[in-house]
Amino acid sequence: MKTITIKTKKLTQIPIEFDNILPEELYDKPKDQIDNTIIYHGNKEEVLSTYYDVSVSGIASSPDKCLIHLIGDYSHVKYIGSHLSCGLIIVDSDVDLHVGSEMSGGHIIVNGNAESYAGREMSGGLLEIIGNTKELCGCAYMGQWQGMTGGKIIIYGNAGKQLGESMAGGEIIVKGDCDYLPGIHMSNGYIQIDGDVTQWPAGQMKNGELVINGHIEQTLQGFRKIEAVINPYIHGEYHIGRYNHYIGDESARGKGSVWIKE
Amino acid sequence: MHEPITDYDKVVRNCSCSYCGNNCDDITYLIKDNNIVGVRHACRLGASKIINDNDQRLLNPMVRNSEGILEETSWDYALELTAQLLHDSIRPVLYGWGETSVEAIKKGCQIAQATGSVIDNQSTICHGATIQAFQKVGHPVTTLGEVKNRADVIIYIGTNPMDDHPRHLTRYTTFPEGFFRPNGRDDRTLITIDPKYTNTAKVSDEWIQFNPNEDYSLINALRVILSGGELNTNEIAGVDKDTLYKLVETMKNTENGVIFFGLGLTQTLTKQRSVDILIQLVEDLNRYSKWSMLPMRGFFNVNGFNIAMTSETGYPYGVDFARGYPRYMIGETTTIDLLNRREPDFFLAVAADPGIQFPGYSLKHLASIPTVQIDTHWGPYTELSDIVLPSTRVGVETAGTGYRMDSIPIYMKKVIDKPENCHSDEWILTQLYNRIINLKEAG
Amino acid sequence: MEYILRNGVVYDPTNKVNGECMDILIKNGKIVEDVSSKAEVIDVKGKLVMPGGVDSHSHIAGPKLSVGRLYRPEDIRAGIKPKSENAVEGFEAGFSLPTCPTTGYRYTRMGYTTVTEAAVPPLEAKHTHEEINSIPNLDIPTLTLFGNNWFMLKYVKDNNLDDLTVFISKWLKLAKGYGIKIVNPCGSEAWGWGKNVTGLDDPEEHWNVTGREVIRSLCMVNEKLGLPHSIHVHTNDLGNPGNYETTLETYDCVKDIKKNKHVDRDQVIHMTHQQFHAYKGTSWRDVTSGAPELIDYINKSKHMTFDVGQLTFDETTTMTADAPNEFDLYKLTGLKWANKDIEVETASGLIPEIYSKRAPVSAFQWAIGLEFFMGIDDPWKMVLTTDSPNAGPFIRYPKIISWLMSNSKLMDMATNEVHPWALNRTSLGCYDKEYTWYDIAIITRGAPAKILGLTDRGHLGVGAKADISVYDINVDEFDPTRKSNAKVVEDKLLSSKLTIKDGEILHKDGSITKLVNSSHVWSNVKGLEEKEDALIKRIKPEFNKYYTIKYENYGVPDHYIEPETRIDVDCEGL
Repeated sequence: MKTITIKTKKLTQIPIEFDNILPEELYDKPKDQIDNTIIYHGNKEEVLSTYYDVSVSGIASSPDKCLIHLIGDYSHVKYIGSHLSCGLIIVDSDVDLHVGSEMSGGHIIVNGNAESYAGREMSGGLLEIIGNTKELCGCAYMGQWQGMTGGKIIIYGNAGKQLGESMAGGEIIVKGDCDYLPGIHMSNGYIQIDGDVTQWPAGQMKNGELVINGHIEQTLQGFRKIEAVINPYIHGEYHIGRYNHYIGDESARGKGSVWIKE
Repeated sequence: MHEPITDYDKVVRNCSCSYCGNNCDDITYLIKDNNIVGVRHACRLGASKIINDNDQRLLNPMVRNSEGILEETSWDYALELTAQLLHDSIRPVLYGWGETSVEAIKKGCQIAQATGSVIDNQSTICHGATIQAFQKVGHPVTTLGEVKNRADVIIYIGTNPMDDHPRHLTRYTTFPEGFFRPNGRDDRTLITIDPKYTNTAKVSDEWIQFNPNEDYSLINALRVILSGGELNTNEIAGVDKDTLYKLVETMKNTENGVIFFGLGLTQTLTKQRSVDILIQLVEDLNRYSKWSMLPMRGFFNVNGFNIAMTSETGYPYGVDFARGYPRYMIGETTTIDLLNRREPDFFLAVAADPGIQFPGYSLKHLASIPTVQIDTHWGPYTELSDIVLPSTRVGVETAGTGYRMDSIPIYMKKVIDKPENCHSDEWILTQLYNRIINLKEAG
Repeated sequence: MEYILRNGVVYDPTNKVNGECMDILIKNGKIVEDVSSKAEVIDVKGKLVMPGGVDSHSHIAGPKLSVGRLYRPEDIRAGIKPKSENAVEGFEAGFSLPTCPTTGYRYTRMGYTTVTEAAVPPLEAKHTHEEINSIPNLDIPTLTLFGNNWFMLKYVKDNNLDDLTVFISKWLKLAKGYGIKIVNPCGSEAWGWGKNVTGLDDPEEHWNVTGREVIRSLCMVNEKLGLPHSIHVHTNDLGNPGNYETTLETYDCVKDIKKNKHVDRDQVIHMTHQQFHAYKGTSWRDVTSGAPELIDYINKSKHMTFDVGQLTFDETTTMTADAPNEFDLYKLTGLKWANKDIEVETASGLIPEIYSKRAPVSAFQWAIGLEFFMGIDDPWKMVLTTDSPNAGPFIRYPKIISWLMSNSKLMDMATNEVHPWALNRTSLGCYDKEYTWYDIAIITRGAPAKILGLTDRGHLGVGAKADISVYDINVDEFDPTRKSNAKVVEDKLLSSKLTIKDGEILHKDGSITKLVNSSHVWSNVKGLEEKEDALIKRIKPEFNKYYTIKYENYGVPDHYIEPETRIDVDCEGL
C-alpha cells in the first residue's frame, strides 16, 4: 500500500483544480515527480508543491493499492477525484465543486462538506460525504440526458436541490434532509432519503425508485398512490414501517416508484 | 400633452431600436445638428433611450486616482493600464455584452481566449435558466411573424410585456392583423398567467393568478390533465381546478398557440425546472395542435451574445477559457456564482451595469478587485470602476448586428456622429486585444 | 507564389486523368501551363493527388447550427480539442455540431476546399453569412430555401411563372444565395398548423398547392434563369416507410423540363440525401429497401443527379427545414426536440439521433446508402455526402471511402458488426463492387463540382482554381481493397499531406499552415433588374404586412459577404 499525503501549505481564494491528482496517475511516481504534478489555478498552470507539501510512504504495484490523503483546507479545491477509476482518496476537509465527478471506480471519502455537482455523471465506485452537499449531486452535464449511471453515493448530512438529477443507474443514500426536486428526470436507479424532503420529489420521473423515510408536505399531481405497504421490500432490503407507494410522474408518462413512510 | 416635433432637418427611416429584445426596426429618427431630436414609432422606453441627452454621458477615459477620484486621462494610458491589469490577472471575468453589437462581442471573445478569461453575459441573471432548460428537454420556438400571422391563442406567463416590451403586443403578437388573423386582436385569445395583476393581465381575455414559487407544480398539474389524468385536490398553486381544466381544453383546441415567458418563470424557486416542465408541456401540446414558445429576452442583443458565442466557442454563455479551450458549467463559470465564490481578480463590464443588475453580496466582491467599465453612460457601476472607457451607442452612433428575441438578425445603422473622444466597443476591444497580444509576446 | 507539384499520381476524372504520374503547375491561384524559374518545387512523388474536395450538401452555418450548439452542450464537450502549441489554428469544439472555426479546420485537414451550406432561410441569411465569416479556408455557396415561401406559393397557385422568376432572381440577391433549395414543399407550410402533406399530390390546405406544382414551377424558373446549379430538392415524406414512391414521382415530375442551354451541368433536378427517401413497406415493421427501384430509374435517366446521405453509426444531430419530420422523430425517440418556424418562409427542426450498429433501423439505413454507391452505373450522377450532420458528421467521409474501396471490409461489417437488417432487408449483399481512386475522385470532386455548376473547380485542367489535395498514400504500392488497410485509408484521408486552395498551402503534413477567410459564393442574375424593382414596388406593402422586419432591413448588406465569389448569370429575359 502506498500512501501519498498532500498537505495544504498555502491557501488561495481562487480555486485550484485537482483533476490530475489521481491514484492512477501518481501510484508509481516518486515524491519529486508528484511534487511537479500540474494543478490548475485560475488561468495559470502550477506545480503541486507550490501550494502543497507532499509526503509518500510505502509502495504500490497498481493504482488500486494507492491512497491519496488530503489534509488541510480543500474548501477551494475543485475536481477532487474527478475521473477516478480505482484506488482511494480521503479528504479531511470540506471540498469544492465536482468532487468525484465522472468517477468510474475507486472510493472517495470526504470528511467534511461538499459543494455542488458531487458525483456528477458518476458511473461506478463509492463516494462518501460525511457532511452536507449542495445542489445537483449525481446529476447530468448540461444537455446530457443521463446523469449518474452507476456506483454509490452516501451523504451522511443533508443534500441540496435536485439530488440525482437525470439519474439513470446506481444509488444515492442521504442520511439527512433533502431540498426540492430530488430524482427529477430520473430514469433508473435508487435514491433513499432518510430525512425530510422540502417539496416535489421525482418531478418528470420516468422510472427508478425513490424512498423517503422522513416527512414530506405534498407530492406532485403526477403521482398516483396505488397502495400502502407494511415493511416493503425495495431495492434488495426490507424497509421497516408503513409506506405509501406512488407511481409517476404520469404527466411525463413515467412509471417510477416513490415510497413515502407514513 | 407633447407637442409634435417640427424643428428638425433630417429624417432617417427604418432604424432599429437598441432597447429591448423586440428590436423594432421601423423607427424613424428626426435629426437636427447631429442630434436626435425626435423619434417616431418607438415606445416610450425606446424613445427615451434613443433621444438621449448627453447629461450623464461618459465622454473621456477616466482612471481612479490614489484619492479614489475618477480622473480624466488619455486613451493610451487607460487602455495600456487595462491591458496590463487583464494580462496580469489569473481569474478575469469579461461580463456584459447585452447592449453592444455582435461584431464587438466577437472581439471580446478573442480577448477572452487570449487572456484565459471567463466571458459571460446577462443570461447569467435572466434567461440562462431558460437555456439550461432548452438543453435538457428541447427548444420548440418560433419567430414573431409566425405569431402575428397564425396565432389564435397567446399566453404570457411570468412576464409583463405591456411595461417591459411595450410594442410586443401591438407590433408582433396580439393586435396586428396577420395573414390568417385578418381581424387582429378580435381573432385571438389572450391569456396572462401571473401572480400579479399586471398591465398585460389588464388587456387580456383571461388572467390566471397563481401562487409565487409554485409554477412547477402548476405546470405539472396541467400536464397531468393533458395526459388524461385526474387532479386529486381542488386547488393547485392557488388556482381553482376547473380553471386548469378549462385552460387545457382551450390549449388543446387551439389552431396555433404560443407561450411567452419571462423572468417571472426563470427566477422563481425552481428556476430552470419551471421552464423545463413548460417546454415539456409545449411538446405534449403539439400532439394535439400547434404550439410554440419564446423567452422574452431583455436587452436588444442579449440573444446575439448567445448566438455569437455558440458560433465561436460552442457554448452560449458562461464560457471559461482558463485552460485555453472553452469550458461551460452553470454554477461554476457563470458570473454571479464566480463573484459569490469570491473568485474573480479582474472584472470588465462591457455595455452593462452590474451596479444595477447584481445582488449586493456579489457587488461586495467587485469593490475589492480591479474593475473596468466600457459603456456610454454614467451609472452605479461607474462608481465601482477603476477605469472607465467611454463608448458609443449601437444603432445610433455605431452600426452593428443585433439578434432579436426570436434570433432574427438585424443590421443596425449608424445615424449620427459619436462624441469626439468616445469610441465604439469594437474599436476599444480591438485596441485592447492588440495591446494584450503585445504584452503576451513581450512575455 | 508559384509552385510545381512534382511527380504526384494524379486523379482528375473531369480531364480523364486516371492515376498518371505528372506535375501540376500553379501560379496566381490557378493551374497553369508554365511557371517561372522562381516556382517552388514540392516533391510529391508517387503520392495521391486529386482536386480539392467539393461537398454539395452539408449544414455548416446559420440558425440551425446555432440552435443545435446552444441546446447540445454535451455535443460541444464531446468534440473539445485544446489548441496545440505553435498551431496556427485554435481549439476545436463540437462533434456533430462543430463551431465555425472547427468546421473550417476539419474540412481543410480532409482536403476539402468547397462546401455548400444546404439550407438558408432568407430572413436569417445574415446569420448564415456572419457564421461563414468565422469559418476559415473554404468557398461556401449557400442554397436559399424557397419550397414553402408564401410569395412562391402564391405565384405557383396563380401559375404566374414570370413574377416567380423575377422574385427568385431578386431573392437570391437579397439572401446572397447560390441556388434554389426546396425542402418538403408545402409540408413545412402545413406544419404551421401542426400538419404535414403526404406525397407529391397532397395539396396544402390553405394554398391548395401541391409539392409537384412547386417543384415543377421552380425547376422551370431555374432553367429560365439559367442558374449554375439546378433545383436542389429534399422531397416529401422523408424517413417514412413507403416513401420511395414519392421519390420516384419526384424524379419523374421534371423529366420533360428543358435544361437551359447555357449551363454546364447535365441535370435539371438534384435530389438530396436519397438514403432517407428509399424505404418500401407500410411501417417500420415490414420495411424493406426501395433503393433498387430508385437506382434502376437513375441508371436509365439523364435529367437528374443526387447525393447519398450515407449513415455512419454515430451519435449525431439531425437538422432540417422539414420540421414535421423532426416532430415525428421526437415521437419515436423522445430525445430533446427543437423546432423553429420562420415567418413567411419555412420551418425547421432538430433532434439528436443515436445511430447504433445494433439497431435494426440504423443498420437498414446504413445499407441503403451503400446500395446507392454500389448500384449506380455512372458515378457522375452521384455525390458522397452524409447530409452532415444528419446521417453522420462530415469527418466520416474518409471512413465511408474506406468501406467503398474494400468489399471485404464492407461485407465483414455487414455480416459481423451490424444488425442483420442490413443484409436481410436490402440488396446490399448482392454487390461486390469496389471503388477505385478514380471513382472516389468523381464522387467527391468532379461530380459535385459539375452538378453545382462550378466549372472552375473539381478538376486540375489548365485555368482551373488551384484547389488541390495530396494524400500521403503511395498509390502504386498501397492496396485499399484489403480489409486491414481500411483504417489506413481513413486516417490518411482525414489528414492530407497537402491542402492547397487558390494556390496557397493551407494544410501540410498534419498541420494547418494558414487560415484565410472563406469566400461567399452567390448567383447574381443580370438582366432583370428593372423588373425586380417593379416587383418589389408591388409586393412591398404585403411584405411589410406579413413579415415583422421592414423590407429595407431584410437583405444581406454587402459587407457581410467579404470576400465574395459572385457568379454573374446572364438572363435572356422573360
